[in-house]
Amino acid sequence: MSATRIHAKPKSRLWKTLTSIRLTVFVLLILAAVAVIGTVVPQGQPLNLYLKLYGQGWGELLWGGGFTHVYFSPWFLMPLGLLTLNVCACIVHGLPQAVKRSFRQLSGEAALSLPERGRVTWPADVDPHAAITTVWRRELGPGRRETLGGQEIYLKEQGRFRPLGPYLIHIALLLILAGGVIGKFWGVEGQVALDQGGVASTFHTGPKTTKPLHFQVRLDKFQVAYYGPGSMPKEFRSDLTFLKNGQQVSRATCRVNEPVNFGGLTFYQASYGSEATGPVILKMLQGKQSEDLELPLWRPVELPGGWGKMIAMRVDGNFQGYGPAVLLAYKPSQGKPQVFWALKNHPEFGEQAGLRFLVESIPFAYYSVLQVRRDPGVWWVYTGFLMFLPGLYLAFFRPTERWALVLTKTAQGKWEAR
Amino acid sequence: MISQLFGAVMLIYLLVAICFLVAELWASPRLQDVGRAMLWLGLGVHTAALIGRWVDNYQVAALHTPAAGLGATLRLIVLHAPLANFYESLIFFAWCLPALGLLAFRRHLRGYLGALIALLSTLLLAYASFGVDSRIKPLMPALKSNWLLVHVVTAFLGYAAFALAFGSAILYLIQERRPRPSLPSLPVLDGLIYRTTVLGFLLLTLGIITGAVWAETAWGRYWSWDPKETWSLITWFIYAALLHARLLKGWHGRRIAWLAVLGFMAVLFTYFGVSFLLSGMHSYLT
Repeated sequence: MSATRIHAKPKSRLWKTLTSIRLTVFVLLILAAVAVIGTVVPQGQPLNLYLKLYGQGWGELLWGGGFTHVYFSPWFLMPLGLLTLNVCACIVHGLPQAVKRSFRQLSGEAALSLPERGRVTWPADVDPHAAITTVWRRELGPGRRETLGGQEIYLKEQGRFRPLGPYLIHIALLLILAGGVIGKFWGVEGQVALDQGGVASTFHTGPKTTKPLHFQVRLDKFQVAYYGPGSMPKEFRSDLTFLKNGQQVSRATCRVNEPVNFGGLTFYQASYGSEATGPVILKMLQGKQSEDLELPLWRPVELPGGWGKMIAMRVDGNFQGYGPAVLLAYKPSQGKPQVFWALKNHPEFGEQAGLRFLVESIPFAYYSVLQVRRDPGVWWVYTGFLMFLPGLYLAFFRPTERWALVLTKTAQGKWEAR
Repeated sequence: MISQLFGAVMLIYLLVAICFLVAELWASPRLQDVGRAMLWLGLGVHTAALIGRWVDNYQVAALHTPAAGLGATLRLIVLHAPLANFYESLIFFAWCLPALGLLAFRRHLRGYLGALIALLSTLLLAYASFGVDSRIKPLMPALKSNWLLVHVVTAFLGYAAFALAFGSAILYLIQERRPRPSLPSLPVLDGLIYRTTVLGFLLLTLGIITGAVWAETAWGRYWSWDPKETWSLITWFIYAALLHARLLKGWHGRRIAWLAVLGFMAVLFTYFGVSFLLSGMHSYLT
């Protein structure tokens, strides 16, 4: 290969290894294997989960060995770093050559050294120019013509930039990796949980760490809509207002797949829930008797008449599209405890062990959890994505073709083409 | 009505597979032609059935969310392409195989290779019809994105291209052991493996890229090491290794064929294994 001519000086062993394709294939397969571990072992869970799943020995080994966050552990980052070095080395090694080759047009001289495919001779009295032009046009499309020392050369080349394709792909890969690193070090990521009507001026970047927002965000309203009772959720929607120094600056609606940008940060609808704002009021019916019950959340309440105990465990503003509901745990004085949902708009479901529970009121408020993020690396990553496409096209779908026809007048005055 | 149409398509593909097998065993070029004609017919009916499913999806969606204006209607149409659940992904995958096969293999899509592809499509359709919930369900919020169409189409065309590479690789390995003059020669099969792998690699890359851009708008992260993402990356690594080995190390033939088989195992795991064995953000498929 011509590349060896350019680097005529003896190359160090390290450089040879770094630019070797064997390293590439090896590292790719290692990365694949390590990534498999990451999908089999649950990632980013607390230690006691691993102890429970794998037992003391294995659990601690996985935890201590970094296999519980394997994509951020040396097991993954080292081969990835090696791959990066490998890619960089290959780019340094071959890019100048590829650029030189791509920008060198096929010249008459170079054409003379192309392998010969055939030879045609015309009789002395025939001028072949017209015929050649037509056939050339029909078979190869427009081309160029050069004259070189009495020889006429027809030239056509295609896919001259093909050698750049692989380099575009690999530079794109480096951009994506760079984007990842930039995001890791200069990006911010966190969450903000807002009660309906609540205002936040900070967001959580970890369980105990917060960051200021430099503005305020207010959740005006959260809504969850279903396609119908018992059907799938249709929309989670947070109506937000952004404020600066108490002044309303802008309003926006944040939905899944429709993030909101403000003040250099992006807000994504991540999760939601409902919180009880007061005790749940139930009506307990037994035959013709009826009793009112007041159930504060998570406080066991003795039922009148020795029927047992009841705990309200959770409220839901719109339980599977059936409207407000409360999750009740009922422990009868005899028999097994029951856990069931009581629906405000569907009293027909509230029957348990001869008792009926009707929901009178469920005071609740929604809260919405928004993912907050700024990632300056995203544009690097997207640039990489965009570069991939021409790179793949050039590398795989644009074969290099060089055609030349050399027309010479022989000593006998005949035209000869080859 | 539409599901019966898919049943008919399944039968046609089964007949195609039988036809190609018989044609190969009896060395009958005429039966090969019949098989190909039937494959085209099956693909036509399959396409019609997919469009029918799309129309049904749209009508159900229009009941829930009546679209006002041309723009909203178009968006509703794009959103309700039949690509939103496991059943629909199966019937689309089954469509990709013969469609891409006819495109990439041209006249080589006959005999054992044709039978293998037709049989794979038959199995996918059979599984979709008998083992999977086929009811039309409204779209959940996470899937309401214009990226859905392009992400799923590129991903599954990629899977299909790798399936074709797998088929050629299997045939290569058989042909190497017991050569049959009526089957494509080893260099031809080697070329087919390479061509389909390149196609699949391009499509898988596009699938991963569109998925990343979509994840960025939906979850605020272009990459979150979700098992499906990770497995698609593993698959990508394997095929990248294959292409490097072939283009730069000059690997050919058997070793490339085995790598194509390994790659397709990873594809199958990315599609089925991740959905059934691992949980993650793509779990709405099951």
